[in-house]
Amino acid sequence: MTDENKTNRRQFLKKGLSLGMVAGGAMILGKPDFLLAQNAPQGLPDLVAVRNGEPDTLFNKGIELMGGMSQFVKKGQTVVVKPNIGFPRLSQAAATTNPLLVKTIVESCYAAGARRVYVFDNVVLPTSANARNCYRLSGIEDAAKEARAIVVPVDDFSYRKVEIPGGKTLKTAEVHSLILDTDVFINVPVLKHHGSAHLSIAMKNLMGIIKNRMEYHLTGLDQCIADFCLYRKPDLNIVDAYRVMMSHGPSGQNVENPTNVQLKKTILLSRDIVAVDAAATRIFGREPEEIGYIKMAHAQKIGNMNLKDLRIVTFAL
Amino acid sequence: MRLIKIRILFSSLIFTLFVILFLSSERTATSLSSVLLSFQFVPVLIKIISNPGFLVIMGLVFLLVISLLFGRVYCSFLCPLGAMQDFSIALSRRLRKRKNHSFQKPLPWLRYSILALTVALTLSGSLVLLNLLDPYSLTGRIINHVMEPSFVWIYNLAIEIPKFFHIYLFQKETAYIPPLALVVSLLFFFSIMLLSARHGRLYCNTVCPVGSLLGLISRLFLFKFTLDENHCAECLRCETVCKAGCINPNDKTIDTTRCVACFNCVAACPQPAIKYQYAPSLAAQKKWSAQRRSFVIGSAAALFSVLLAFNNKVRAALYAARRSQKPPATPPGAVNLRRFTQFCSACHLCVSACPTKVLTPSFFEYGAAGLMQPLMDFERSFCDYECNVCGNVCPTGAILPLALEDKKLVRIGKAEIFEDICVVYVDHNNCGACGEVCPTHAISFIDKKNILYPEVDTKYCIGCGACQLVCPTTPKAIVVHALDTHEQAVKYVHAVKPVKRPQMPDADFPF
Repeated sequence: MTDENKTNRRQFLKKGLSLGMVAGGAMILGKPDFLLAQNAPQGLPDLVAVRNGEPDTLFNKGIELMGGMSQFVKKGQTVVVKPNIGFPRLSQAAATTNPLLVKTIVESCYAAGARRVYVFDNVVLPTSANARNCYRLSGIEDAAKEARAIVVPVDDFSYRKVEIPGGKTLKTAEVHSLILDTDVFINVPVLKHHGSAHLSIAMKNLMGIIKNRMEYHLTGLDQCIADFCLYRKPDLNIVDAYRVMMSHGPSGQNVENPTNVQLKKTILLSRDIVAVDAAATRIFGREPEEIGYIKMAHAQKIGNMNLKDLRIVTFAL
Repeated sequence: MRLIKIRILFSSLIFTLFVILFLSSERTATSLSSVLLSFQFVPVLIKIISNPGFLVIMGLVFLLVISLLFGRVYCSFLCPLGAMQDFSIALSRRLRKRKNHSFQKPLPWLRYSILALTVALTLSGSLVLLNLLDPYSLTGRIINHVMEPSFVWIYNLAIEIPKFFHIYLFQKETAYIPPLALVVSLLFFFSIMLLSARHGRLYCNTVCPVGSLLGLISRLFLFKFTLDENHCAECLRCETVCKAGCINPNDKTIDTTRCVACFNCVAACPQPAIKYQYAPSLAAQKKWSAQRRSFVIGSAAALFSVLLAFNNKVRAALYAARRSQKPPATPPGAVNLRRFTQFCSACHLCVSACPTKVLTPSFFEYGAAGLMQPLMDFERSFCDYECNVCGNVCPTGAILPLALEDKKLVRIGKAEIFEDICVVYVDHNNCGACGEVCPTHAISFIDKKNILYPEVDTKYCIGCGACQLVCPTTPKAIVVHALDTHEQAVKYVHAVKPVKRPQMPDADFPF
């Protein structure tokens, strides 16, 4: 572990304690994982990459290498699984997270003893008349419900305003109450090209849990994406790089055989949201330094984009 | 007795179907509207000019045949406003002690002046009076502006309850109704309800253009209600149940121009005096010439209105009055502004069906002559790319039904980026909100030093307004300019060759 990481943890602990009640409560309730979310327990990898399989087998192998779902979900906890359901597209368009992957994750959460698993995303609204279209077309609504997840409609607008500690541009955000009230937060983005942020991966996917999305666009998209992670990092990031949209993102082509999608059959898992974004950027064929928000988040010590500093476990099925 | 029951059942059913039409989802509304609205006079009369089809022609033939055969059965069986008034009449009779109707003196001058003015304005291309007074469009606006919001409000409150059991349902939304339009609807709603509670079907026999037109041709009806003086016991029961107030007990006549064929009198008459029978030429009613007077006044009015309508100066003045400074965007299928405003009866079925609620009632935006006709309000919403419901439900053909693939290429406006406002050009920060939501790839990004600058290629733009809606700047840095006449956009063709990246060996990871 690098010095950088150590100071980061110390800072994080400080901030966590200064938050007082919330953090204290978390400790008392026996959830120190929340405060240490970024660092893997001794002996377990920082990042896992698996390739050459179907979404379910890829995930099952990946979570096994991460130490099992029990590392993240304890018995009786509530979990929110946050895929990218931002666009009214068929799953083949690769604009949304693979439904089979979402289903497998939900099942795995329940198998680890989760009390309730919620699935939701704040749809990019002016792309479809009804958020329901995105839920339905992407296949995620059906897949998640099959696995007994509670699919929460996005127009159920119950957001609460929070302060971003140390945010450079983003000072406050209105966060969906599910994120604030559930025990475990699993981020399941899809790796894809993005017309205005170059790439959309894990950090970008967090724009789907906040309401003041337009403030990001107005004040500086990259910096705000990075800043938000200072408030809350997911407990686990699972990047879907099974089908990857290589151009015309983030919406892509709404057809069954899109010409801009490449089958990469890969998934990435990590507690470190910056590391997982950096690794996914490489999978896409670009360098992390080229992506504004990854560079900024690394500089703000939100995570580590230097992949060679990390314990990475790769596996090809 | 039985005919009254049939009437009450049938008209209640029709009214319920109208409420369902306005409250239901897009798919139900589409199938329901084509059936239900083929039997409404005003929509059918407009559609026979704008977009005639089999069902419309059948509807018109049916309406004309039943009217000529059976009299104004439309008013009592098919008209949703008639059903609403009957409900108010029944309610008031149940609540109040004074239960009786009485004979009302006809107001032919007022009645036919309104009809003449309506016809004249309609023929000269302004539907303002027709839209305000047409019973179907009026009912549509009342349901859309008054009933629907209350229904949606109750629904949205109700879905809070299953949340306690972790069942989440999608919320419903209602369209924004501009306050002035809402005031007009409420005014009509309450005055018609009050008027009917106190004076029965006075609206139908004085104001309603459909009622007046049918009254005008009532001489031709084959079946009529007749009052046989010889059998009449002068019990006045028929007068007290006549909602239209058209039975004159003094000279024992029935004013056919005002009779709405409700069958109340036949049921009430204890003698065989009032009959509904085949009576092609009504020689018996020569004494009191209400019909003849009405016919003369009506014909004169019609002649006057036609003369007025075909006066070029009048037409030009009205068209100029309709054109406001910056006309708003019209929905895809409207073809052009002039066509749309000349065919839309402002029933607001499209407003109710529009899933994004971009269709909003106008007030003066189309000018005084286009009062209440809906417009595309890009300040509030956008036109969904995957939707063509407005054209499918439009009963008058003002919005033509388009196949989804065709609708996706109809340009109703053009987007323009203002580089002096856009955050990317001003601050050199990535934003890209407009490109993210553009459904046609009309907005592309130019990469300069890793900053992505948006550009619009107007040949792909259809003017859906999504970019304007999401643009985070105030004022907006990207704005859709409405087009008077819609255009054909170019279909974006994706590169046939898939984007090739160097393929890694299967077990290799780039880190």
